[in-house]
Amino acid sequence: MPNEILRVENLQTYFNTEAGVAWAVDGVGFTLYENEVLGIVGESGSGKSVTALSILKLIPNPPGFIHGGQIFFKGEDLISQDYERIRKIRGREISMIFQEPMTSLNPVFTIADQVAEAVQIHHKASRWEARERAAEILELVGIPDVRARLDDYPHQFSGGMRQRVMIAMALVLRPSILIADEPTTALDVTIQAQILELMLKLKEETQGSIILITHDMAVVAEMCNRVVVMYCGRVQEIGTVDEIFHESKHPYTRGLLKSLPDPRNKKPRLATIPGMVPSILDLPKGCSFADRCPDRMARCEKSMPPLLDVGKEHMVRCFLYEEGKAHPVTAKTDSSFEAASNESPATGDPTQPITMEDKA
Amino acid sequence: MAGSETNLQDVTSIDQRLAGLMFPIGFLYIWLIRPVARTVYLALYLPVGIIRIYESILENLPWAVGTLVTNPTGLFSPVFLKRVRKFKTLRRGYLSFLILSIGYGTSFLSELLVNDRALVVHYEGETYFPAFADKKYRNKDFGITKGSFRLTDFRELKTQIDEENAEKREANGGKPAPGENYVILPPYPYGPNENLLGLLEGNPPHSPSRHHWLGTDDRGRDVFARLVYGFRISVSFGLLVTLFSYFIGIIMGGCLGYYGGRVDMLGLRLVEIWSAIPFLYAVMILAAILIPSFGLLALILSIFGWMGITYYVRGEFLREKSRDYVAAATSIGLSDGTIIFKHILPNSLTPVISFAPFAILTNIISLVSLDFLGFGLPPPTPSWGELLGQGLSNLDKPWLVFSPMTALFITLLLISFIGEATREAFDPKVYSRLR
Repeated sequence: MPNEILRVENLQTYFNTEAGVAWAVDGVGFTLYENEVLGIVGESGSGKSVTALSILKLIPNPPGFIHGGQIFFKGEDLISQDYERIRKIRGREISMIFQEPMTSLNPVFTIADQVAEAVQIHHKASRWEARERAAEILELVGIPDVRARLDDYPHQFSGGMRQRVMIAMALVLRPSILIADEPTTALDVTIQAQILELMLKLKEETQGSIILITHDMAVVAEMCNRVVVMYCGRVQEIGTVDEIFHESKHPYTRGLLKSLPDPRNKKPRLATIPGMVPSILDLPKGCSFADRCPDRMARCEKSMPPLLDVGKEHMVRCFLYEEGKAHPVTAKTDSSFEAASNESPATGDPTQPITMEDKA
Repeated sequence: MAGSETNLQDVTSIDQRLAGLMFPIGFLYIWLIRPVARTVYLALYLPVGIIRIYESILENLPWAVGTLVTNPTGLFSPVFLKRVRKFKTLRRGYLSFLILSIGYGTSFLSELLVNDRALVVHYEGETYFPAFADKKYRNKDFGITKGSFRLTDFRELKTQIDEENAEKREANGGKPAPGENYVILPPYPYGPNENLLGLLEGNPPHSPSRHHWLGTDDRGRDVFARLVYGFRISVSFGLLVTLFSYFIGIIMGGCLGYYGGRVDMLGLRLVEIWSAIPFLYAVMILAAILIPSFGLLALILSIFGWMGITYYVRGEFLREKSRDYVAAATSIGLSDGTIIFKHILPNSLTPVISFAPFAILTNIISLVSLDFLGFGLPPPTPSWGELLGQGLSNLDKPWLVFSPMTALFITLLLISFIGEATREAFDPKVYSRLR
């Protein structure tokens, strides 16, 4: 077992809204090991980004606040650290890439200044040294003709190049964890593939770990070692990428995988998960997926299922897998989702068909 | 039956009384107790914030200076430089800017151009520079025995020396004698605070003449000289007050907008309360208690005049702080102050820059009105407002009203043209109207 570097335990991040307290993240827990890519998947509003922002204490307060839980980074609880300590960790130990490269760079500074800033702040380096470091890392992320472009402004770069600059900014101090919050969502598909490849390459070089937040199952299959599936602010399933894609246990995960477009399959309609995501202001008392779940039982609506171990590192939040029901019938789940489509699928390996090229 | 009805009425009235009591209690809670509690809570946090911001200003000073030295245009974004280019194409505003800045620059040479003290005096082999010296020259220094302890009138000295030179030349056969004494006077040899009563006949104010282009005021001082010096004081005052008040306003607005929430709620109330103080009366009272020097008056005016820009800067910050680059800057571990002043402020300068000319204009008007009312700069400072006041009490001497009015009008007009052009240069739309 590799060394653990980050452990999130029972994280609760809530938001005060006019309509009441929104439980954006409620009891999320996972572990990140050294030199691995952990994917966090889920649909919009499932709490992926809030989880990531909570790790760096970037939740805007007000209205958001971390209500409880622990985040252990190398054995140190980040939640209880003060502002100064968190500032020292940000950028140097844990850094972050944001979704929108077009707005993530300050329009009034040159890229060299922006990348060098972290070096200047954390290492008290001189302007010139910091600039040299910035040039090195910018070359590493593949900005062509770096020296000539150091004093260019962000608007002189394309979206993909800006995302590379963002990556350079995040990695210039070789942090041990890089949190990538949907880093490729705003990019077109060929650039997406390049950026993801670059992140993997840099991960190998810096020996760091990546938390990759995405709603794109294809990206997860391509990039990640382990996957956390989130729904309504809770972890629904954690497992290795193989376990999630081949032996997915939770009805929600299965539904997600079913609703991926399959180019070999000429179905006229895409399978969908029926129903709506419940509002996080008014979550059901029991399992939050109960309303939409084909395997719903009476108790699902009454009480929240715990996270149950179903494998070595594989956990799932579902009553179907309680003690004594280790191998429940799962056919029902499959067939019920397929009811939405009219043809029977020839599902093979779900990770296989959905590669970058196919999506393009 | 009658009794039970009365009871029922009693019960209702008790309910009503209770409701009547509850309403003011609830009202008090919402509008008084809760805000006060929040205020106290915030007041505990405010010093910490101020210290952090102070620290980060210190932190960023080397950066700003370094950029200024290595790459001066690097302090300004290309967008800003583009706006400067746009400003230059707006001919009226740019021309006004040139005229005003040249005029203001020249006004620092006033001592060389408009002065009652000579630029150079060469007397008995020694050279003096009275216009640049702090020393007060007296008649005895230049060998005048009559009134030897009186301050030298250099115009008189020049006439006297010229006469002596003419006599010597006559004796020398028309050739200039070696080692002649001479006096070089400024082009307009009258000072702003110089009393000309001994020189001119009749009672002041004297009407304009060949030597005194705009006449004299009611104390026999040259109006043109006072106007020239008044211009420098007025524009400097406008600039200084704008600088001070924008400094306060930007820090306040930046913090309110960036921190938001309680800080914003409380801070805005404080700003509103502060704005409710009647500006002119407060300044008059303060000016009556303290004897205002130039700097002190500028400070007083800034303290009562910073609120306007606060709202705009706050609005800009509210918008800018939710941009991703702020989150990115936070995520690499920058402090709040660095983010506020280095990252957000340069992106929020549009209202600051486009309002600045109008603020300068307003501050000049404030100074003129205070001077007019007699609560401004202490006499004998040459000021336009004071001249206007004299004009009011001497309505039959039109030059006393018209000359400061014209000077004020032209200055304000030029500044408004500059302001208009700045606003247009910062307008993202190419045309301000649909064409």
